[in-house]
Amino acid sequence: MTTTIQENGNQVIAFFNGRLDTAAAVATTEAVKPLLGASNKEIILDCSQLEYISSSGLRIFLSIRKEAAAHSSKVIVRSISADIRQVFVMTGFISLFDIE
Amino acid sequence: MEALDLHCQMILEEYREALPRLEQLKEDVLAKLHATLEQSGLIVTAIEARVKTEESLAGKLSRKGVKYTTLSDITDLVGARVITFYTADVDRIASMAEQLFEIDWQNSVDKRKLHELDSFGYNSLHYICKMPGYDFRFELQLRTTLQHAWAAINHDTGYKSGIEIPREYLRRINRLAGLLELADDEFSRIRTEITDYRRRVQNLVQKGQLDDVLLDGDTFASYLQAKPLDALNKRIAAINQAEIQDSPFSNYLAVLKALMCNTLGDVNRLIKRYEDDAYLLARHQLGNTDLDIISSAIGLQNICIVCILSSGGGKIGLERLFDALNGHNTHNEELAELTYKQALNLPFMNKQ
Repeated sequence: MTTTIQENGNQVIAFFNGRLDTAAAVATTEAVKPLLGASNKEIILDCSQLEYISSSGLRIFLSIRKEAAAHSSKVIVRSISADIRQVFVMTGFISLFDIE
Repeated sequence: MEALDLHCQMILEEYREALPRLEQLKEDVLAKLHATLEQSGLIVTAIEARVKTEESLAGKLSRKGVKYTTLSDITDLVGARVITFYTADVDRIASMAEQLFEIDWQNSVDKRKLHELDSFGYNSLHYICKMPGYDFRFELQLRTTLQHAWAAINHDTGYKSGIEIPREYLRRINRLAGLLELADDEFSRIRTEITDYRRRVQNLVQKGQLDDVLLDGDTFASYLQAKPLDALNKRIAAINQAEIQDSPFSNYLAVLKALMCNTLGDVNRLIKRYEDDAYLLARHQLGNTDLDIISSAIGLQNICIVCILSSGGGKIGLERLFDALNGHNTHNEELAELTYKQALNLPFMNKQ
């Protein structure tokens, strides 16, 4: 599992690649730290290469969203697979995130 | 501007020496106002303050310098202003100011009360105040946002009083003042009525008279305070010993209306009718996963899914639900298809 952060003007994009499971959670939490202080930005969580998300992964997404709201930033979850989209439905988070 | 006489020049010199203390007074007044308003929970449009500029003071002295013996006779060297949303808030803040500062009643004016039939303008409450530890008095203006707009635009015309203004404009400006006063009163009335409405709704919800309460954003929020979905959410959480994360329900208002819920009574019946099947759907979906975090919206989401499928809404109904919850996008059709397949063997699907 790798996480790459890229800044592009008003956007900060996090690219997730691999399986975001419990084993990958600690490293991913560390990798997304630069997103947490972003003020007035559009934070894109690019999931086009994300194969799987566990509860630990959902918690990371939730903490990014919470911090973004506190810093007037907006979070968009982009390009998630059908399976991961279904995880958002099963847990009830589909209405919480802006999913493209 | 005419050259200042020696007396006025001495006052101006006194001003230059006093400037650091005036700046400090301004900061202290601002800090007190901010702290008091924050503590009271009253939200205002703006709190601002300034120290009179040397240029402005020189102008004042050239016009009426003879009135002042020393610098401390001038009461508006420091001016603070609080701009409120509502007229009633002006009075509330005035009463706070009376506790915070010593008011020089002789020089304070409630210009709102001065208005007679032939009055000019639309003014505010001006207090001349004193703060312990300072020789100088300061002016505190309290006005509503609309009063402020009127005063600011009127100031921009360059006229200082009603006498100076050409007659042809006077009537039009007075008409505007009247219009804004009416608007201020109307805003206050609306606020009072909304507060009454919310109280009435809470009362009806507490008494359980849900059929008497129309469904809207306010009433739905009142209803949710009674946590009608808690039991279902806890049952769902127990499937995987999951934690429940609070989520907003705002997207569900439109969904509930589309499901023909017109009153809170309708919402309550919908929950009671479908909560067991909503639990079964969650158990079916989550039971073979290790997902141990759920949203507090899951119970209501599943109730809506079950209601749509039980009433024959099918995949298209689900797609519309996801459009409402997640915004319209091309993946919602696929999501509806998946959810439909997952629900296919559940008992409520076979009741049709």
